[in-house]
Amino acid sequence: MNEPRGLSRIELLQGTLDLIILQTLRWGPRHGYGIAQMIRASSQDVLQVDTGSLYPALHRLERQGWIAADWSTSENKQRVRVYTLTAKGRKQLEHERSQWEQLSRAIGAILAPPAESEP
Amino acid sequence: MSPKDDEIQEEIAAHLRLAIADRMARGESREAAERAARAEFGNVTHVAEVTRAVRRGLWLERLGQDLRYGWRALRRTPSFTAVAVATLALAIGANSAVFTVVNGVLLRPLPFRDPGALYAVSYLPTNLPFELPPGLDDRLYLEYRRHDLRFERVTGYQRQELTLSGVGDATRLPGARASASFFDVLGVQPALGRGFTPDEDVAGNDRVVVLSDRLWRARFNADRSVLGRTIMLDGIPRTVVGIMPRGFAFPASAQLWTPLALRVDAGNSFIFPVVGRLRVGATPEQARSELDAIARAARPDPSVDRAGMVAQIIPLKDTVTGKVRTSLLVLGGAVLFVLLIACANVANLLLIRAATRRHEMAVRVALGASRARIARQLLTESVLIALIGGALGILVAFVGVRALLAMAPLGRIPRIDEVHLNGWVLAFTLAGSLITGMLFGLVPAQSGARREPQEALGQGTRLVGGAHQRLRAAFVTGEIALALILLTGAGLMIKSFLLMRSVDTGYDASGVVTMAVDLPPVAYPDPARVQAFHTALLERLARIPGIGAVGAVSFRPMSDVGIMGDFEVEGATPLPHGYTVDKPTVSPGYFGALGIRLLAGRDFTAADRAGAPGVVVLSETVARRLWPNEPAVGKRISMQQHPGPNDWLTVIGVVNDVVQDAQLSRHSTVYLPYLQTTAPFFINHMTFAVRPEPGAGNIAAAMRAALRDVDPAVPAQALQTMDQSMMDTIAEPVFQMRLLATFALLALLLAALGTYGVLAYDVAERTREIGLRMALGATPGNVLRLVLGRTAALALAGTAIGVAGSLALTSVLTKSLFDVKPTDPATLAAVTALLLVAALVAGYLPAQRATRIHALTALLHD
Repeated sequence: MNEPRGLSRIELLQGTLDLIILQTLRWGPRHGYGIAQMIRASSQDVLQVDTGSLYPALHRLERQGWIAADWSTSENKQRVRVYTLTAKGRKQLEHERSQWEQLSRAIGAILAPPAESEP
Repeated sequence: MSPKDDEIQEEIAAHLRLAIADRMARGESREAAERAARAEFGNVTHVAEVTRAVRRGLWLERLGQDLRYGWRALRRTPSFTAVAVATLALAIGANSAVFTVVNGVLLRPLPFRDPGALYAVSYLPTNLPFELPPGLDDRLYLEYRRHDLRFERVTGYQRQELTLSGVGDATRLPGARASASFFDVLGVQPALGRGFTPDEDVAGNDRVVVLSDRLWRARFNADRSVLGRTIMLDGIPRTVVGIMPRGFAFPASAQLWTPLALRVDAGNSFIFPVVGRLRVGATPEQARSELDAIARAARPDPSVDRAGMVAQIIPLKDTVTGKVRTSLLVLGGAVLFVLLIACANVANLLLIRAATRRHEMAVRVALGASRARIARQLLTESVLIALIGGALGILVAFVGVRALLAMAPLGRIPRIDEVHLNGWVLAFTLAGSLITGMLFGLVPAQSGARREPQEALGQGTRLVGGAHQRLRAAFVTGEIALALILLTGAGLMIKSFLLMRSVDTGYDASGVVTMAVDLPPVAYPDPARVQAFHTALLERLARIPGIGAVGAVSFRPMSDVGIMGDFEVEGATPLPHGYTVDKPTVSPGYFGALGIRLLAGRDFTAADRAGAPGVVVLSETVARRLWPNEPAVGKRISMQQHPGPNDWLTVIGVVNDVVQDAQLSRHSTVYLPYLQTTAPFFINHMTFAVRPEPGAGNIAAAMRAALRDVDPAVPAQALQTMDQSMMDTIAEPVFQMRLLATFALLALLLAALGTYGVLAYDVAERTREIGLRMALGATPGNVLRLVLGRTAALALAGTAIGVAGSLALTSVLTKSLFDVKPTDPATLAAVTALLLVAALVAGYLPAQRATRIHALTALLHD
């Protein structure tokens, strides 16, 4: 059933998508399409989230209790499923965020080693 | 589709509409926007599916699909499903029913605090002709308790029966004498009031009693004010000090407890069970060697025969369940065999069904389903069948347990009150069904998935599966073998039962009704009064209309008590060491009432009383053993160890031997007249036997009335016919026989059905071949032989394996068999013949059908 994935797409690190979704929902409730648009816009079109990853991730986060979902009607009278960050999700976001910062500092240090450490 | 599925679809639809709206807002045409949005979104179905998978977990999702698909497939073949489900419901239900009993009796912990730490303590000879229940004698018990033991505490108790009078009808109740520490050691305290104090555990100060919850409710209306009240037990007033919590009935089914109050007797020793709670960290082996050392040190006197004394520390549970353990495990094994046969049957049905579903499977493979997925699908179907079978099996078990309990010999299976269908049984049934489903589904699933699609799609459905045919033959052979083992077990038990029933007991039981009485020492303190009671009751019984003969005996044949001992013979005749005889005390007329024949001399009369010359009657083997060549009548023996001149008893008669107990062997017996027996122990317990003339009315009621006339405070016990007593004595093997026979019949039926099914399918599969043979000149007789030949081949292979299995397994029945070896050739031959005949009958129907195959139709077939 798995379809071949395009080589041009950037595979997000496991867990990174969760962080991005949670971060996106920090600014307020949003539906799936809105989240995808927001991610694309705030990454200056670099990250384009595959819907085949986004929706499973949303439903998984919901099951984990980090986000909550509800049906509501959008601006143009569409019935849409809107996701909200929960208190638990907020805590999780802080946690993942600090982890991500550590990780990116570490990777940054590896990629750009300070000159002094050279013998 | 669940609402959740709709939600995901709707969410995706909303996403697309929003994307299209955005694009159109940016100036794209509707068509272009739609196309682009869809392309950007990707595969809608795929997204929906992976999202659903997250919601339910992938595994569950597929299981749901498999179950739905399986359910539809089963509904398409209702007759197959019905047969498979019914077979499994019977087999699983039978297993659950037996498990219910095994769980209640063997597996559940005893209802005490930390029951695993409780052990029975025993120091007894093991080289006796009979088996003693574990215990200590009084002196050793007192000595043992003085030491610092590996046990936190030990306690002694003794079963007893007591007559409760003054509260409704006088009644005989099972109870126990128990040390003060009894309730502490078991870790169960009275729910109301208290247990015994050490002060009360002393002879003379022991007039207290603790009641069971059941007795308290049945006889005292659960009245709390019974605490402190005095009740009459065996004519002795005792104060009620405590009521035990509901369900406490130890030992056996004790209803009341009085203090053990040991009084060591100079001439005798008194043996009783002892139980202890092992200290944390101590092992039973340490306790055993400790007991051994204490026992050796306590009896330095070399004159005491210590040979054969064995120290044992036995888990308390084993002493409770001991005897029934083996027979329950045998039944468990038997019923498991039935399940295996059912599995083989259903597996064969599945194989046959798989053959008719080749096309369907091929289509699924061609459409891209993986082999593993198809195997799982088939396995899901078989597990589904097993689960439905298991659910119905619970109903079967519910009925089965009731039938089992109704069949179970009364009072012979310990803890029978604890047998219930409960969570454990449901869990067992569920697990059993799952395992069963996998067991019978695995082989068909594997072979079903292995098929090449081109093969099946291209060649239609007439493909002869050689591997399948061999598998089916193997299953049928296996089930015939298992059925034969069960039939052998049942056959052995039945033969043993018939032999037991045909044993010449030496008495004539027909119509004889017996009634036992116990005379409490308080009301009947001396032999004269006991004898007066017996005489009065005998006279009163003889006045019942329609009574032919009346007699009394201190312990009747087929009772579970007896008094044995040795004696002295006048003159030089030395008796071999350890020669013991039964020593019942009887009334005049007893031999006549029981139809025991007088072979020489005379019966006792009323003149053989105290003061008259002492007399005895011997049974045949005793007379022949002592005086092989001369008449025994007129010779003298004595029951005293060092007889004085007045201790000699003259032999006045010889009667035939009678069987006394479950071993059904004839006992050597010396009968004493009750009017000359002075030890109360020999005559306090008496059984009265009456032989009614044909057509007499309700003798039992008349006997009860007679007893009430003589002394209303004495309850009638064991009021039943001698035939019932005989059946009670052999109740355990009969119970086992009935169950084994039931399971064996079920096995035979299933095996015959299985044979029939496979041969019928064989014939259908070979229609073309048989038609061809007939076209080429084969007669119906040839065809009949062809099919029956295959049947015989299967049956012979199965019975051969079964006979080997029987020889290996039936030795587990040794202890339950009477006069039959577990390898009895006649039984093996009979059950083998029975199975062969059953198989040939099962094969005959398809064979008949084969002879009616019309050559032309067969060739046009398919």
